[in-house]
Formats: sequence, C-alpha cells, structure tokens
Amino acid sequence: MNIVSGCDIGSLTSKAVILKNNRIIGSARIKSIANPVESANIVIKKALDIAGLNKNDISYCVGTGYGRELIEGVSDTMTEIACHAKGAKWLLPSVKTVIDIGGQDCKVIKIDQNGNVIKFLTNDKCASGTGRFLEVMAKLLDLKLDDIGKMSKKASSPIIFASTCTVWAQADVIKHINDGRQVPDIAAGINNAMANRVAMLVRSISPVKDIAMTGGVAKNDGVVNAIEKMIGMKIKKIKKADPQLAGAIGAALFADSMQK
Amino acid sequence: MKDIFLDAAINLKNRQVVKWKKQDKKIVGYTCSFLPKEILYAADIIPYRIRGINAEGMDIADAYYGPFICTFPKCMLQLFGENKYSFLDGVIITDGCDSMRRLDECLRKAGEDNQAILPSFCHYFETPHKSDSHCIEWLIDGINIFISKLNKHFSVEITNEKIIESVCEYNKTSELMHDINELRQCDDIYISGYDVFIISIAATSMPINVFNKYLVEYITELKQKKEHINNKKRIMLLGSGNDDISFIKTIEDAGAIIVSDNLCFGIDQHTKININNNDPVSSIAKHYLTQSTCPRMFGGYNERLKQIYENIEKFKVQGVILQNIRFCDLHGSENGLYETDLEAKGIKSLKIEREYGSKEDRGRLKMRIDAFLERLSNI
Amino acid sequence: MRPELKEYNFDWMLWATTEIAYKTLRGTEKEYKKMLNYMPYFRGLLDLFVLYGEPGIKFLELIKTVLSNIIKAHDNGKKLGMTTFCFSPIIFYAMDIVPVILEPLTVLPTVLWKRGTFDYMDYCFELGFTETSCSSQRGSLGAYLANLCEQVDFIVVDSGGICDTNANSFAFASSYLKKPMYHMDYPADLVSQKAKQYHREDFKKLIEFLEYQTGKKLDISKLRSVLKETIKQDIILSELEELQMIKPNPLPVIYNLFIYAGRFFSTGTPEYTELLQAMLNIAKENARSGKSGIIGLNEKCRAFFCYIDHYTADARMWKWLDQHGIAHIGCILSRFYSDRSPYIVDEEEAYKIETASLDSMIDSISEINARSPMVRTIRGPYDAPHMWLDDSIKLAKLFQADCVVYNGTPGCRNTWGMVKPFARDVEKAGFPTLIMYSDAFDDRVQSWEATTERLDEFFKIRRLI
Repeated sequence: MNIVSGCDIGSLTSKAVILKNNRIIGSARIKSIANPVESANIVIKKALDIAGLNKNDISYCVGTGYGRELIEGVSDTMTEIACHAKGAKWLLPSVKTVIDIGGQDCKVIKIDQNGNVIKFLTNDKCASGTGRFLEVMAKLLDLKLDDIGKMSKKASSPIIFASTCTVWAQADVIKHINDGRQVPDIAAGINNAMANRVAMLVRSISPVKDIAMTGGVAKNDGVVNAIEKMIGMKIKKIKKADPQLAGAIGAALFADSMQK
Repeated sequence: MKDIFLDAAINLKNRQVVKWKKQDKKIVGYTCSFLPKEILYAADIIPYRIRGINAEGMDIADAYYGPFICTFPKCMLQLFGENKYSFLDGVIITDGCDSMRRLDECLRKAGEDNQAILPSFCHYFETPHKSDSHCIEWLIDGINIFISKLNKHFSVEITNEKIIESVCEYNKTSELMHDINELRQCDDIYISGYDVFIISIAATSMPINVFNKYLVEYITELKQKKEHINNKKRIMLLGSGNDDISFIKTIEDAGAIIVSDNLCFGIDQHTKININNNDPVSSIAKHYLTQSTCPRMFGGYNERLKQIYENIEKFKVQGVILQNIRFCDLHGSENGLYETDLEAKGIKSLKIEREYGSKEDRGRLKMRIDAFLERLSNI
Repeated sequence: MRPELKEYNFDWMLWATTEIAYKTLRGTEKEYKKMLNYMPYFRGLLDLFVLYGEPGIKFLELIKTVLSNIIKAHDNGKKLGMTTFCFSPIIFYAMDIVPVILEPLTVLPTVLWKRGTFDYMDYCFELGFTETSCSSQRGSLGAYLANLCEQVDFIVVDSGGICDTNANSFAFASSYLKKPMYHMDYPADLVSQKAKQYHREDFKKLIEFLEYQTGKKLDISKLRSVLKETIKQDIILSELEELQMIKPNPLPVIYNLFIYAGRFFSTGTPEYTELLQAMLNIAKENARSGKSGIIGLNEKCRAFFCYIDHYTADARMWKWLDQHGIAHIGCILSRFYSDRSPYIVDEEEAYKIETASLDSMIDSISEINARSPMVRTIRGPYDAPHMWLDDSIKLAKLFQADCVVYNGTPGCRNTWGMVKPFARDVEKAGFPTLIMYSDAFDDRVQSWEATTERLDEFFKIRRLI
C-alpha cells in the first residue's frame, strides 16, 4: 500500500494529510498548541482516524513548518515554501504564483510547471500582512477570525487605516469603535490594510498568472478581493481541497516522491 | 581549526590580548575597516576591531541610541557600557556609516555618565566617501593628524620606516589570505566558510605578526588535507558587516559552504598596499579610498558588481545570499540592485534582512536559507 | 504599484493640481465657492491658502511654475537634474538646468493627497530599495523609478558625509535609472580654511560635471545675476527672521513652509523674491499692530521645531498649531546662515556672497551649500560647535522658544543615532523637549490621531498651553 503523509506545523494551526494514489483519504486541521511535537501527534492521529488507519500504515512521512525537525516519526523534512509550492500546484495545476498567508508570515512564491520554486519572498519582521494581524483585529471587533471576511462584504464605507503596524492599528480600531463606526466598515478597512501590505510583496516578485492563495487567509474573501484590486490581477480560487492544507499536501507529495 | 584563532573569534578578551596587556603594551579599538590599522601597529599598538558579539541586553544602548538604528553599533555600545572593553587603551570611531559614526557621541555621553567605560584615548577618524584627488589629500591630512595624536598620547614616535614595516607585515597577511582564497576556488573544498571567518576575525583582534606565524602553519596543514567538504552548495555571502561566526554556521549547517564573501570582517578586506617608501602615508590613503567594496563609497556600484561577477566565476558560486541588518540602508538597498542584476543573469539569489546579535532570529533565517538551498537543488 | 496609478504621470498630476488650484484662487469669491463643489477633496487645503492671502497665492504660483518647468524642460531644450533639498539650485539656474528636487516633490503630494505618496514609496520596496530608508526621498523617488515622470538627465547630490540614507537614495536612483551622478562630499568641519578648500575643489569638479552633461560652459554673467537675486532674497529673509524673534510672532505658522520650500525650489529666481516680499508685507503689518500671525487666536506658546515639520494631508500640522495658539518659530530647514541673518554670532559660521569674480562666486555657492539645512547641522558630532545642539539652543534662545520639538522620519539614521542625548542636553539648557516618533511623510508609521495625542499630551503636561 502506497500511503504517505504530510504534516505542516504552523504557529496558529497544524495540518496533516494522508495521501493514497494521489488522493487525499484523510486530513485534519487543529489549533496549534505550544509544543509542536504534541500538535503534530494530535493532528496526525486525527487525520489517520478519518482515513481509518494507524501510523504503521504510513510508509513515508514528511514534516514541514516551524519545529518540523522535532516531529516524531517523520522520515524527512522540507521547508514550507517548497511544500506550499508543491501543494498549490496539486490543488491548481495552472498556478504560477502562490500567495500564502499564514499565522505569522506571508510568502509569495513563483513556481515552474513542475511546482518547483523559481523565486520566493517573505515578509520580514512585521506581523502586518499575516494571519496574526487579522487575529488581533478580530478579537478587538469581537468577531471570529472566519467572520471578518463575511462581515467586510457588508461595508458601505471602508475605513482607511493609517497604520499598518499591528500595534498602532489596534489603537486606531478602538478609536473607530468608540466613534461609532460600523463594524463592517472597520472590518473592510482591516482587510484593505492587510491586502496593501501583501500586495506590495506580491508586486515585488512580478507575479505571473495564474495566481492562487493558500493558507488560512485564502478563505477570507474580503482580503482576497482587496489583493486582487491592488495587484490588478485575478486570484484563482482553490476548490479541489481546503487551501489551508496546501503545505501538508505538498509535504505528502514530497513523501510520495521521496519514498519512490 | 587552530585554537588560537577560535579563541580570538569567540572571546573579546582573548588570550593574545591578555598576553599583550601583561607586557604592558597598548591596544586601541576601532570600528570600521576604513581605519588604517597599519598606523597603530607601527606604534606597537594592537589595532583591535570592536565587535558586538554576545551582547545580551540593550538597556544601556537604548538609553543613548534611538530605536530606528542598526543593532550592530548598539551592541558595541552595550558592551562598552557593561565594561567588556575595559582592556582597550583607546577607541577610534570612523564615519563608516551614519549609525556607526553616531557611536562617537553616544559613547562619549555614556562615558560622561560612567567614566569607567571610556578609554583615555578617543579619536574620531573621518574618511571621505569618494576617491577624488582632494579627498585623498583630506585623508592624508587626517592620517597625519592621527599620527601626531598617537605620538603625543602614547609617547611614541611613528616614523615612515615603522609604517613601512607595519604595512609589510599586513601585506604578508594579505598574501596568506590570498592563499586561502585560492584553496576556496578549488573543486574540492578544503576549508569551510565558518573556518575562514574565524581566521579573518582573528586577524582583527591579535598582534598581526603572531597571527601571520600561526596562519602560515595552518595553511600548510590545510594544503595537506586529504578529506574535503564536498556535496555542499557553493554560496557567496554579501552584505552588512558580520563578526558573528554563528551566523555563518547557521548558513552552512543547512547544507551550504560559503566560498566567497565581501563582508567587512571577511577575508577580502585584506588587500595588499602598494607602498611608496618615500611617502607611505599617501600610499595608505590612496589604498583605503580606492580598494573598498563598501557601498558607503557612493557611485561605485558598477565596479562592485563587476567584481562580484568575477568572483562568482572564480569561486564557482552556485547561489548568492544577500543579507543586511535591519536599518542598514546602504547594504539593504544595494542588495536590491544586486538581486535584480544577478537574477537577470541567471544567478540565483536570496535577499534576507536580519537583526544583528539576536539568536532568536535564527529560526526565521534558517527557514529562508533552507528554502533557498532547496531552490538551488531544484527539488 | 496599483494599475490605476500608472495612468497619469506623477509630475503631470502635481502640476495639473496646482495649476487648477492657482486658477481657482485667482477667480472671484463666487467662482471659488462654485469650484469647491467640484473638488471637495481639496477644500481644506484651498481654504488654507485663501486664508493666508497673497503669500498663499504666490506660493502656489511658485510651485506651479516649478512643476511646469519640470514637465516642459525637454520640450524647452533644457536638462533635468535630479537633486536633493539641501543642494542649492543656484548653479542649476545659472546653467539653465531644471532642478527636480525629490524631498519637496514628496512633501507636495503628501500635503495634497490623503494617501500621500504611499504607493510610490511601496513601489521602491518592490524594486528592492529598502523600506527603512528615509521616506522624504522614497515618496517621489518611487514615481521616477516607475518611469512616471519626465526622465531626468543626471543626478547631483551633496549629502555624502552628511546623510548616508539621503546619498544612498540618489546612488540607487543613479544605478537603477542608469543616469550619471555627481556626489559631493563634506567633512565634519565647517569653518576651517582646509574645509573651505575642500568645498571649493568639490564644487569646481561639480561644475565640470555639469558642463559636460549640458554641453555648455558656465555662463558667468548668468551666475552673477542669480547670485544678485539671492542677495535680495537674503535681505528680505533676514527681515522676516528678525520679525520672527519678536513676541508675539507676527509670521503666520505656515510661512516657514513657504520660506524653505521656496528656497529649495527657487533660490535666485524672481518668483521667490516676490513670495518673500509678499510675506514680509503681511508680517510687517502684523508686527506694526502687535498682532500674532496665528489666525484668530493669541500666541500662547512658541515652538522651535529642531528638525523638520509634519507634512501629512491638508497641511494639518500647521492647522493644529494655529488652532492651539502655538507659534512656529522655525525648524532646521528654515535657517540658511547668510551673513545678513540676525542669528549669526561668528562671521565664520555664515556665508557671504561675492560676485566680483568667478572664483569668488564659486566660493560663495560652495559655502552656501556647505551651510544649507542638514549639510551644515549634522555633518559633525551633534555637540560640536556650529552643529545641531549649538545651533538649536542658540536659535531657541534668540527666537524666544518655549519648547523644542523633534519630528523626523524613522529613516533618519543620523538623528535617531543621537536624538536622545541631544534632547537631554536641550532640556538641560532649559527647553522642554518632545521627541516625536511619527514619520513626517508617512502616517502609516504613526497615525495623525496618535501624533496629535502625543503633541497634546506634551503641551499640556509641560504646561505650555
């Protein structure tokens, strides 16, 4: 049985994917806990349970994400950049530029026809433009992270945020709440501020069509639409599977090719 | 790796410094590769390049420096404030860059608040940013002023003959470093970038004649080595100054070997001075203004790029890492130009920004370096 | 860069805006009010110019002329030289070169547009230029790098040895745009004969460079005429500066901006002389009647801005000062150290314009440049004679400041390298001092709301207003 797995340990969420004959037979996503080893164990078990398997059924496992070397039972590790590139290619074969916005970083990756990385750029030393920025803002607005995108669609007059710094932007959000501004308008402003930061990174890499987004923020339509407007190019929606699993899928694909 | 070099690379007050001080001899610290260290050595003073390694906190530095400043001079100030440089008999600040030149004021002010931290001899050494004739004249003048101040303060007499002798000793170092560079060009790799860095840093913090003696031995041993470090990606490292060997280790542990660099603590800083025995000071001034690879020499990008292309060929470089310390605008921007030009020529590059002195930065850096090496392997 | 920003050239947009603004202000009051309905976005700013009367209109006229010259330079057979605010354009005007001065070209859209020059700044980052560099260049630089302006022919910069970040921006532009560059270099010393000789040699080489780039020899009579106009301007400026010393300060707060923006763009041109004269007329009138330049309020406090102002949308910093009764008594940008200036103590710290011979004229302009804002003040250690601390305390005393405010940009490596000890020393000299952490050109760093909170806090807690 050619069953492989990929495990992506992120700062906010951990993901695992079980692949058999190039098909996902089990996957899971959990909120990461402080110990990456524990996060890996829990998420891999969850994915295995969904697939109706146990860990002995896995012939090869590749780990990725921060702390990947610490994951028990991995046969090999790859960087999340390579994994996201591979995963995005599997999810959308026409993709040439991948925008991955994770919990604590934002990556833009240009790939070739085989899903190999041609060039990549990451944000440096700044939380704005990452999932963390949205998480902090969602808390201030008393919203679930997943609801910011939905809420922003109801905006009639999005706030323009002066600050892109997560710390300073919090003060701005509080001020707007106290001024009685509508939550959808604030949410839309947050999305736009984030999109601006991401768009800058995207434009730095001279993006080529098709562009796709992976990572949790890919599910925030507000941010996706805002980025599209700013870069003047369409971002193709990933429908084959949850885009947040791209890293874990890529890791599983590497596991598949490595064990051969 | 010889213990004497490693000791000098990882310890500020290394054993050679202790030995020198026991002989009641002088050591003067300097901040920038533009300082003509040959002049200090001519006065029988160790020219000691000030570093920022192992600075744990920033509380002292932050009392004087503002927040938007490169952490390299901040770490230096922090160490001064913690009395880690109490063995220095003097300090010379050069206007290598704006952040570094303000170390002069910050250090003096810190010295007013705590007199124990400032050595008795303090001098600000100016260097022009270009090599026109009037700039070389200015530097010659500056060096002569520097010589008189040293003569007066340390009761020495720096003669032309002593300068020539000193230059000869440093030229020997350059020849030996050239030998190491020749080895780095081979297909079989004799020496890691980590070891090269240890050597080039050690050269800045011990008596140069002692350094040369041990380096001769080391190179002889190296040439006889049968085991080589192959199957690693050959990397060129460019950008902001670095005196922290653990940064080099982070890169090489990922599966790379640094075969070439242009860093200002690096091996390429050791270049021979063509000395005119009738006017050694002019030769030194000309040399320092015309041989640098530092972007502080505005308008010299094309020449620097040309040298990089030549070195990529010579050292069979497979990828280039362009790093800068955050707030280092000189390297930060020039790296952007390099990246564009190198990638246009098909030379794969990685541009990364880092903090100086922060070990917590390693995870983030490691991820990017790993991904770059994967890219080089075309996985 | 957002695709829609590429539809119009940056310099053209600025010219069109100021051209229309000028025409609007020149109309009748009825026409003015009607026009405002079609451009509500600019209402706040235009009202401000109306409020300041003739000088406001003259200033707009000067700016629109500068911009018109830039976009039509090549059509008119002239060369375009990119340069920095601290380089005096005298030599350019003498050689019929049109100056493109990056920093005021960043200030202008920062004042005019809500988004300022954010998109152009971000474009610099997209090209690999570091985002920690000074925002004063990055704003307009981004537009030039994006080829959204009339292309420059060469670059001249005089911040070597003064400000790496500044010189580095122009060096980047030179390499990226593949344009020849001459950069002048300054030693830390200002007044010694050796320094003067250095300035002279460097300036002579600059002239050689410009002659080569333009294909024309320096016209000595033209140079003389530009310098003579500059002498006229220095005389008027010194009168304005004397008036600024009295209490209450009869100069409206925004006059500082007019003074230095005009100086950077148009030294030695008749437009600048007219602007200065218009300001002097109002200031004299206010002084005669003992009136403060603050509109509608008494002067409660006098603030010396030891570095630069804050330029974001609608000139709101000047409005804020006005609304709070705070007189602006100058900043580092509004002092030029001519021998006629009332704050000159030592002869050697000033420049003197001599037009008798070519050599004396070259000496004059090289010394003008050596004393231009920033070139003079931060070339050496901040606490050395004739440097930042010395100048700031002297000026704060002479102009009867109640407090000192530092505002700059995070890109200023020089000042952030020593502003803390500087502020400590200024406090010791008896002046309450505020260090602002905002960016004068980019309120994404610190929002205007947060900035005014800090200002409010300082002026109230230190009992200044």
